[in-house]
Amino acid sequence: MRKERVGLNRRRFLKTAVQAGACLAMPQVIPAAALGRDGSVAPSERIILGAIGIGNRGRYVLGCFLREPDLHCIAVCDVRGDNRQRAKNQVDAQNGDKDCATYVDFRELLARDDIDAVLIATGPNWHATAATMAAKAGKDVYCEKPCSKNIAQSLKLADIFRRTARVFQAGTQRRSLPNFAYAIELARTGKLGPLETLHAHPGGLGTKMSGWLPAEPEPPREQVDWDMYLGPAAWRPYTRKLMNAFHFEKGGGLVGGGCLEWGSHCVDLCQLANDADDTAPVEYEPVNGQLHARYANGVKLVMRNDGWLPLGSCPVRFEGKTGWVETGDDAEFGASSQSLLLRRGTKIPGYPADFHVRDFLDCVKTRALTRANADAACWAHIACHAANIALFLDRKVRYDPKKNEFIDDVHANRLRSEALREPWRI
Amino acid sequence: MILKKRYFSWCVILIIVAASAGAVAQDRPAADVRDAKERDLIAVLQSNAPTGEKAITCKQLAIYGTEQSVPTLAPLLADKELASWARIALEAIPGPAADAALRNALGKLQGRLLVGVINSIGVRRDVQAVDALVQKLNDANAGVASAAAVALGHIGGEQATRALSQSLADAPAGVRSAVAEGCILCAEWFLAHEKAAEAVKLYDTIRKADVPDQRHLEAIRGAILARQSAGVPLLIEQLRSQDKERLGIGLRTARELGGRDVTEALAVELARLTPDRRPLLLLALADRSDSAVLPTVHKAAQSGPKDLRITAINILIRLGDVSCVPVLLEAATENDAKLEQEATEALVRLPGKDVDADLLARLPQARGKLQQVLIELAGQRQIGEALPAIASSLHDTDAGIRGAAVETIGIIGQDQQTADLVKLLQETNNSKERPGIEKALLSISGRCGVRCIPHLRPLTQSRDSELHMIGLHALAIIGGPDALAAVKSAIKSAEPPVQDEAVRILSTWPNNWPGDAEAGQALLMLATSAEKMPHQVLGLRGYLRHIRGNKKLSNEQKVANIEDVRSHIKRPEEQRQAIAVLAEAPSAGALELLTRLAEDPAVAEEAYLAMVRIAGQDIRGVSKDQRRQVLTTVAEKSMNDGTKQRARKTLRGVR
Repeated sequence: MRKERVGLNRRRFLKTAVQAGACLAMPQVIPAAALGRDGSVAPSERIILGAIGIGNRGRYVLGCFLREPDLHCIAVCDVRGDNRQRAKNQVDAQNGDKDCATYVDFRELLARDDIDAVLIATGPNWHATAATMAAKAGKDVYCEKPCSKNIAQSLKLADIFRRTARVFQAGTQRRSLPNFAYAIELARTGKLGPLETLHAHPGGLGTKMSGWLPAEPEPPREQVDWDMYLGPAAWRPYTRKLMNAFHFEKGGGLVGGGCLEWGSHCVDLCQLANDADDTAPVEYEPVNGQLHARYANGVKLVMRNDGWLPLGSCPVRFEGKTGWVETGDDAEFGASSQSLLLRRGTKIPGYPADFHVRDFLDCVKTRALTRANADAACWAHIACHAANIALFLDRKVRYDPKKNEFIDDVHANRLRSEALREPWRI
Repeated sequence: MILKKRYFSWCVILIIVAASAGAVAQDRPAADVRDAKERDLIAVLQSNAPTGEKAITCKQLAIYGTEQSVPTLAPLLADKELASWARIALEAIPGPAADAALRNALGKLQGRLLVGVINSIGVRRDVQAVDALVQKLNDANAGVASAAAVALGHIGGEQATRALSQSLADAPAGVRSAVAEGCILCAEWFLAHEKAAEAVKLYDTIRKADVPDQRHLEAIRGAILARQSAGVPLLIEQLRSQDKERLGIGLRTARELGGRDVTEALAVELARLTPDRRPLLLLALADRSDSAVLPTVHKAAQSGPKDLRITAINILIRLGDVSCVPVLLEAATENDAKLEQEATEALVRLPGKDVDADLLARLPQARGKLQQVLIELAGQRQIGEALPAIASSLHDTDAGIRGAAVETIGIIGQDQQTADLVKLLQETNNSKERPGIEKALLSISGRCGVRCIPHLRPLTQSRDSELHMIGLHALAIIGGPDALAAVKSAIKSAEPPVQDEAVRILSTWPNNWPGDAEAGQALLMLATSAEKMPHQVLGLRGYLRHIRGNKKLSNEQKVANIEDVRSHIKRPEEQRQAIAVLAEAPSAGALELLTRLAEDPAVAEEAYLAMVRIAGQDIRGVSKDQRRQVLTTVAEKSMNDGTKQRARKTLRGVR
């Protein structure tokens, strides 16, 4: 892997952002008035949004954007006609007009000078490619997760957002939710003692490929643009089943799987708890249906398939030498001592994306790093990809986060990247 | 038939995959095994296997292929369906053979397929391909030329840079953006090879070129960072720019460009910027994590526009140290609710034991609003050493200070402070303050447990019924024999309100705590011999609840206990409670008692449901015939279709 070329103090810059992320439970760092959103917002101060890949999840996140007073959406894009129309209806209803433009090819949307930022909620196959193209087109990007298909894409994503200085927010909205932020703050501020073990519950640990299925008659392009849907994925004939983007090309062909789907959330939270937004575990080993990883600082990361916490989906548990805390999507806590929970703050169950969207929009204005910036997302995804590779090879692998290569492991190293279908590139 | 054949072929491939992974899993270095595997995969590509099988085979070769596979993969680069799959393998296979195959394809392919090959060459950074790629910069197809430009950028070096620089001036408009992208990548190559001057030159060339503005912005960023400290003037130029995008690049590079001198220059610039931009630059300064920025943030927090002050106060949470305490305390005691809230929050979160010590040292001399804030902070920061000073504030003449002291003692107080709170309760006639004191008292009681009981005696012995009841509440939280004895004693109180409250407390007494088992007997007494009917009802309900949750009782004992109070269970509410207990105590006695309860139409259906639940289980002392008989009876008598069906279904399972 290519080393970073620009001579910046990356560690310092990242650490700063990490510290900012650790103070999530606090109010906005910058007053709303200073960002022009404490009352009616002048048109010139609004952030103009285009939305790309607007299926069910996309429309939910788009709804979060549309609720923000300083946001104005003017265009939507999807390879499916029905999705385009639903999204347009949603935007037009908010804007009170019929002006929302629709596109099949997202490059046409990116070419518009009047769009500041894009929401990308395509399937995982497109995320990294579309996000980096958007950055190169001068757009700030909120991108749903998983954000990359492999380790190489993760690194390129971070590299390109650094180079273009565009704002990136991975759709890992739990970073912006008070209960997760509070648990992370306990871990990071020493309230649990030196950290020892982190537990993440990715669910569906296992690898699978989306493959090639028997051809079916291809719908007209206005209904489904199959070529655009395939995008950077290797060619295969149209099959209705593969139109479910949720299962298509998640983590590449051979070694994708559940670890990315949930790991991009819960492993990501463990990364943050361990002050590891600029690195990843150095060892990964499948152990009795679990995946045990270890960071260079000695902290152990356990990725589990089975549920063990009664705190809702996506649970995490952070164990230190003197205490532990766990939380999940129902926003409840478990802790070794109630005194740890004294300042837990507001309970917000249901993992809404509103706070995360707000953080993104604020950073579009301040140009600060978002809570789930490209570097943080890069390393959390690398942890998941490396775990998948260990699961696929069914053995221990060791990773060097400085060189970004597996140590003495030809086969694992070849799984770090995958060629994109022509003409796409990152 | 075709599907079957495909299925078979897939199985073969998956077996190869599994075998491959397995071999690796066992860490077998056996080259012959791997060679054989590769030969098998090559054979699939050379066969008449369906395209889909060949595609997946290419993916296998990305992991297990060597230069032996290259001759078979290379022709697939011209295959529209398989080219992308073949490149997956060729991009991954190490060695010159794959490079050569991709280079050779440059002269044979057109359009998208050619773009794909160029992209792969760029990924592999094949220096030997530079000449051919330079030629492709002039390709009539903009997609091909653009791909070549970016690939050259990835490869980097003097030759690629010369070609791209030249092209920057004369490339068609549709290609120029990619050429500029290639140039920026080359500039990064120079930086990585410690040739900053060349990088700066290239960035400056791009800044002036006729390329999309995003490329300009990237070049500005690169030009600032490559110049290091000498880049400050260019950075400040961006911060002052009227263009929003340039301001954005300025704010981003203000975070990235390292150096104390840079921090100082930006701090000076902060004062010169227009007020609307100051919070933005202050945030950027804060992200530099340079301690030299702290005086600037202090100053901004102290005075000036409110927005800037609040921004600065929030920044102090992550950058600040003990030196920030005076500034924050000043803001926290101003008559501005927003400032007070933000500054207090900052003081709560400011890290460091030295901050605790500083706040503690200020407490004895503090008066008025400052005293109140310090007391609240002691609670939020859990500064236990502050307790004596806070306890002395319990009797302050200022209601705000008294309230803060009570609340804080509730948060961090220990059993010794129970006595302070009890004394305060005795002295306080203000009905508005008593709830706060009680809340604090309950909080300590829950935390410190039985150690508080001696301190609570003045309350339980008080003639003031309100105080007596507060004492009982605290005891109920503590639990245990001593607390139970005090509550039982209060049931005999001459004061009706105290008596009622004691009965209510007893009726909800926990039944699963160590030392609380005695509550059952007291509840039974209440249920059977209390003078007041409401006390009997509460006692009965408490007793039934106690039986239900008591894990020490066997099923038979639970049924016997209910039999003891059977004559008192008259109302449907308590009958339902009894049924709930019996449903969880499967036994012959429970079935018999439920059968009798089912005779009352008011609760018959609940009883039937419980009977079905019990009769569905193997129970000691109950034959299958008896179980069938119960179920048959329920199926016949129940008016509820769901219960009937459940009874019939259960009946079928009893064989």
